Amino acid sequence: MPEERPTRWWATTGFRITLLHLALTLLGTLLLAGIGFWASSRFAVQQIQAEIERDAGVLLNAGRLGGPTSIALSIEARIAADRSGTQYFLLSGPDGGRIAGNLAAAPRSPGWATMGLDAATDDSVLLALGTPLPAGHFLLVGRDLAPVRELEARLLGAAGWVGGAALLLALAGGLVIGRSVVRRAAQMERALAEVEQGRLATRLAARPGGDEFDRLARRVNATLDRLADTMAALRQVTDDIAHDLRTPLTRLRQRLESLEGKEAEAAVAECDRILEIFAALLRIAQIESGARRSAFAGVDLTAVMETVAELYASAAAERGQRLETDLAPGVAMQGDRELLAQMLANLVENAIRHGREGGRVQLALRPGPEITVTDDGPGIPDADKPLVFRRFHRLDAARSSQGAGLGLALVAAVAELHGLAVALEDASATSPPGLRVRLRG
Amino acid sequence: MRILLVEDDAGTAAEVARGLTGAGHLVNHVPDGRAGLMEAIGGGYDLLVVDRMLPNLDGLGLVRALRAAGVATPTLMLTARAGLGDRVEGLDAGADDYLAKPFAFAELLARVHALGRRPALNAEPSVLRVADLEMDLLRRSVTRAGQRIELQPREFRLLEVLLRQAGRVVTRNMLLEQVWDIHFDPRTSVVETHISRLRAKLGEPTLIHTLRGAGYVARPPDA
Repeated sequence: MPEERPTRWWATTGFRITLLHLALTLLGTLLLAGIGFWASSRFAVQQIQAEIERDAGVLLNAGRLGGPTSIALSIEARIAADRSGTQYFLLSGPDGGRIAGNLAAAPRSPGWATMGLDAATDDSVLLALGTPLPAGHFLLVGRDLAPVRELEARLLGAAGWVGGAALLLALAGGLVIGRSVVRRAAQMERALAEVEQGRLATRLAARPGGDEFDRLARRVNATLDRLADTMAALRQVTDDIAHDLRTPLTRLRQRLESLEGKEAEAAVAECDRILEIFAALLRIAQIESGARRSAFAGVDLTAVMETVAELYASAAAERGQRLETDLAPGVAMQGDRELLAQMLANLVENAIRHGREGGRVQLALRPGPEITVTDDGPGIPDADKPLVFRRFHRLDAARSSQGAGLGLALVAAVAELHGLAVALEDASATSPPGLRVRLRG
Repeated sequence: MRILLVEDDAGTAAEVARGLTGAGHLVNHVPDGRAGLMEAIGGGYDLLVVDRMLPNLDGLGLVRALRAAGVATPTLMLTARAGLGDRVEGLDAGADDYLAKPFAFAELLARVHALGRRPALNAEPSVLRVADLEMDLLRRSVTRAGQRIELQPREFRLLEVLLRQAGRVVTRNMLLEQVWDIHFDPRTSVVETHISRLRAKLGEPTLIHTLRGAGYVARPPDA
């Protein structure tokens, strides 16, 4: 699996949790503040209404006993006693003129009303109760709503502070939770990446008891144990097969060797072929298991390629081919020298076998590393290019081939183990196109 | 030579013992690891051939224990495992050479002979000779009948390996290992082509002889 791009911070679960947390906190705070505001303000208005009704009741009582004059006296006394300056009264006669009170003129509508004072001098708003009296008189009792407005302002201020603090706390909490989620997830991801790289012994950290992450980690660990068991069993089977089949085959081969004659010789050769296919399959299986990676060391690729080129130079010469090398000096990589040498040998052998007689085989190495092996043979049709790395795949006719068809499968396995990408290309636009195998680190 | 064969597979053991006896050696066979270790420590053998997978004590353990006990008898380890790291593991444990099953008997015999006569390190000769061919390892020069022959470094190494074992068979695989450090069989006739080149440079009559199905041997032309 290719390396994943690092997760953007806004795409993390932690960030999403924080965001959700914030939104919910904000909503909750708003709701709470709204309800509190509404209830408090309503309560304060009701208080004022109750006071107005009480005042009006007292004045009406005085009116019933002593008529408008008594009301007027009582009003004057109240106004004189009102230190807060929030009480307003108006007793008007049948002609609408003022008899008593500290209000100028006011609409003579019965029941509750809100009204402004003289807009030019005062921006206060009054809540007032109008009551018609016998003989065309009209009593208006009012209170300034300023204390309610002040209460509302204070409530809004308090809600702002509380809301702000709650948001900050929510943000901090969300970040803490989010960070811990992201950290644990990242730990798991790192451990599993190790496993993916072939280090099957890696396990996730899991506290006994613990939260859902610990439970998840334990579950993943159990799965990895199982996987390791399965792979160990597979290796055991492989070893058993190797031992149980190769030993009798070896014996058979030895017996055949002690016989004389062409048939015996052919039988030995057949035996060798069986053993060779068998060995190649086991080798590929072992490479693919990734177990070999633990033995990686620095390999001087330039030197390995020189050796392989030198080894095959005379074999190429026998087919009248030139084996040309263009090797950058001192190119090294982490790997398994033996496997890399075999991979290169397979590629060169292939190129020599399929290249034109009297033609040339080119071997190149660039830092990176980038290895190319090029021949001038019939090449491989585009449709078949993806197929040749499969086990036992052999192209017929055009590439008159010998061998078990495992050569390129082994190349693919070794390349994969070393993280090298393999590409097949036509070497030239002319016919025959030839073949270039490109391995890129 | 007195050879101890530690091998649990009776069939393989019988074949190998028959072959080695046929080549003039005294062979004693033990089928399990622990008995093999006891025998190897006390038996005064010239060479041990030890299978890697053995009952009671495996080949690696046997060689390790043997080396720990101060017994330096040359040891050839055999294995049926396809394991890639096995060779290194075997050599690390103290084996002197390593041969994977299946092997041609000729290959085993060649390696047994090479091991049995491995000279002590301080007795390394500096000049190797076969007939009128002389190779000076210090001056890195090769002459035949007094005539200097120019060799590429790899050809020099190839000739050196053959001459060190002069008179004895050196197999294709032994050459690949010792000259090119290549530990797999490339199947094609790469070694043969190098030998032909070397032969051509060394001139007639040839001193490097091909033994069909076995390998090569450096010896005087009349032998």
